[in-house]
Amino acid sequence: MSADLITGILEALSLWPLAAALGGLVMGVIVGAIPGLTASITVAILLPFTFFMPPTVGIGFLLGIYKGAVYGGSIPAILLNTPGTPAAAATSLDGYALTRKGQARRALQLSLYASVFGDLFATMVLIGVAAPLAAVALKFSAPEYAVLFLASLVLIATVSGKDLTKGILSAGAGALIGCIGLDAMTSTQRFIFDVPELLGGVPLVPLIIGMFALSEVLIQVARPPALDLSAAGVQTTGPSLSRSDFMKQIKNLFRSTSIGTFIGALPGLGAEIACWVAYGISRQRSKTPDEFGSGSLEGVAAAESGANATVPATLIPMLIFGIPGDVVTAVLIGAFIAQGITPGPLLFSAHGSVIYALFALLVLTNVALIFVGKVAIRSFSLVIRIPNALLMSCILVVSLAAAYSINSDPYDVVVMVMGGIAGILMRGASIPIPPFIIAVLLAPQLELTVRQSLALSDGDPSIFLTRPISGSLLVLFVAFFTYIIWKFLSAPKASRVVSND
Amino acid sequence: MKTILKSARVLCTATFLAGMACAGPAMAESFPNQPVRLVIPYPPGGALSITGAIITAAAEPHLGQPMISLIRAGGGGAVGATFVANSKPDGYTLLLGDPSINVIRPVVEKLPYKASDFVPIARITHSPFVFVASRDAPFSTVKEMVDYAKKNPGKLAYSSDNVNGWTYTAFELFKKQAGVKMRGVEFGGGGPAVTNVLGGNTMAYAGVPSVVKDHLTSGALKAICISDKERYKPLPDIPTCAEEGVDVQWGAWIGILAPKDTPADRLEKLGQTFAALAKDEGFRTLIGRINADLAYLDAKAFEASLKADSDSLRR
Repeated sequence: MSADLITGILEALSLWPLAAALGGLVMGVIVGAIPGLTASITVAILLPFTFFMPPTVGIGFLLGIYKGAVYGGSIPAILLNTPGTPAAAATSLDGYALTRKGQARRALQLSLYASVFGDLFATMVLIGVAAPLAAVALKFSAPEYAVLFLASLVLIATVSGKDLTKGILSAGAGALIGCIGLDAMTSTQRFIFDVPELLGGVPLVPLIIGMFALSEVLIQVARPPALDLSAAGVQTTGPSLSRSDFMKQIKNLFRSTSIGTFIGALPGLGAEIACWVAYGISRQRSKTPDEFGSGSLEGVAAAESGANATVPATLIPMLIFGIPGDVVTAVLIGAFIAQGITPGPLLFSAHGSVIYALFALLVLTNVALIFVGKVAIRSFSLVIRIPNALLMSCILVVSLAAAYSINSDPYDVVVMVMGGIAGILMRGASIPIPPFIIAVLLAPQLELTVRQSLALSDGDPSIFLTRPISGSLLVLFVAFFTYIIWKFLSAPKASRVVSND
Repeated sequence: MKTILKSARVLCTATFLAGMACAGPAMAESFPNQPVRLVIPYPPGGALSITGAIITAAAEPHLGQPMISLIRAGGGGAVGATFVANSKPDGYTLLLGDPSINVIRPVVEKLPYKASDFVPIARITHSPFVFVASRDAPFSTVKEMVDYAKKNPGKLAYSSDNVNGWTYTAFELFKKQAGVKMRGVEFGGGGPAVTNVLGGNTMAYAGVPSVVKDHLTSGALKAICISDKERYKPLPDIPTCAEEGVDVQWGAWIGILAPKDTPADRLEKLGQTFAALAKDEGFRTLIGRINADLAYLDAKAFEASLKADSDSLRR
């Protein structure tokens, strides 16, 4: 084992693997920062090229892209309210609010440090505890997932902003939209209305681009903001992040990173969900929950560290069992297999040095991300200097192009535009958008896992309690939920706005 | 100055018009003269998409043009299939299909396309199914599994993929032949299905060898039987299901199909490309690495095999 470890580390420190990993990282940050391009598409397109490269080079490259992209999405999320990838959607809530307050630099820097922190922590977990963690993850089946999804949906209440009823309304609408497509278990067509494109459901990426970016453009057209950040004399990106700013977030970072690592290690769940769960929980635990949504550094730190922690974590089930956690890891498995390396139980004994080399590359790219990120921030921040009117026009064009670029399919552009219209309507009526997005993601999954659980138990609903893990999760959830309700009900009548905490 | 601008404009217009004129007769020139798209109807990462990636990577020298994979996932393959069925039959858009999309589902479900919307070009791989049991399942052979199912009707839960998918059909055939009732839990794909049988949440599963091989070697799963006429050479210790008394012969293939009105000469050229690909050393190595079983059939043989499959299903 240690012979493999040494060989592996030495292999990682040679020219091509390092260059490939760093090149991938830079490319990933750029790809992530461009709305419409995501890690999954890029990795899928570049996969065939890796067939003919040595594994440490080819796979190191893909891993670099994966890491870079999840971080990169936060840059336009903060600067332009346009998440570059779905994983950055939660970051745009507070990130963009901070930009509007003239504090973009602090948000960007915190997002970078939070991402690196989350990534590094999870990489350590991957290297140290992968096998036992994977064994636990295997025990998770439909009932456990169902309870987790239910708990996450309840978190919607915490990101509903001021009005709980509107949050539920938003989530309900999201659930309906999420149902469009083919039912996963019986292939029944739902809400298709004979439109073949709808068979695949409403795609998430163009929807997010529309609801965040396009709606922002259209709203600014209607009501130009008072503070035009490009106006001369205004401190454009604001003060730097101070040391104490960062240290205040430590507890939050540890918590959010653990959440992200846990969620990433469960097959099937990835950064798009982790960012919301981390955000929601940190809002629950925060001393200043009302700041969330209007420029809370805590929110940015939670969302980013949670999302980035999933990157190394999704590698855990992939390497230990050959089970993909999301689209990117599924493509990575393909890359491994085409090299003759089969992820799974025999991996470490058969190909130890390659795996250790990749671990070493993961740690190195982590450190490199700090520098790459700083350069990226400096370059992308120039965007703020562009006069608002011009900037918004650019975003409009980029949104349209981005939506089309996903699949060269006009259907995605239509979804994007409709998302934009829905976004304006919702914002006009003060209906919060995050619950909608969370519900689109989670409601179909919740339904699916509940039905799978009942299929597993032959129709017996007690399976949720009799299985030890789901039983304990359920008990925890009920306790937590009761606590929320109790706090709400015991708040003094005068200040009892319909919100939580 | 004005004259320069004017002549520049004339030049641009002339070039533009010339370009447009060229675009017209493009079809009449030799095929292919632009990249060919291979539509992959499943999300990236599955067996189909990896095989597709290998095909597109290796095809260029034989085709003369790059082959690009276009992912159109959704609806369990229906979105991609419909896309190809509705696309121009000029030979530039092809479908990477499998039995679920091209044989079973058009018969049993109401989909926006029909099986006859496609014409087969070549079959690339064909793998039998290995029926496996989880490590702690109370059976290790076909006989034990059938006995257990008979004594505990409805208690045996197995991992399935999608309704009318590969694993689903394998088990339906098994259940019919053996005369037993077993409960399938649809997990949406091979990945989650395997995860659940590995974790002991379900007792059985049926998958292609590339998916289950490593778990059989490590002992995490037990092999029950293989759904083929003869024993599978890389795994010779696994009996065929027929040997064990339950005659299930069913395999998953991956093949290339084109929209139905594609001109015959283009089909011919594409057929030659894939025939050459099947002999290509580099391609064969890559296919071997992913443990897929190269089983090339040309258009006629492929068509015959499809017809046989669909006839046997109707029975």
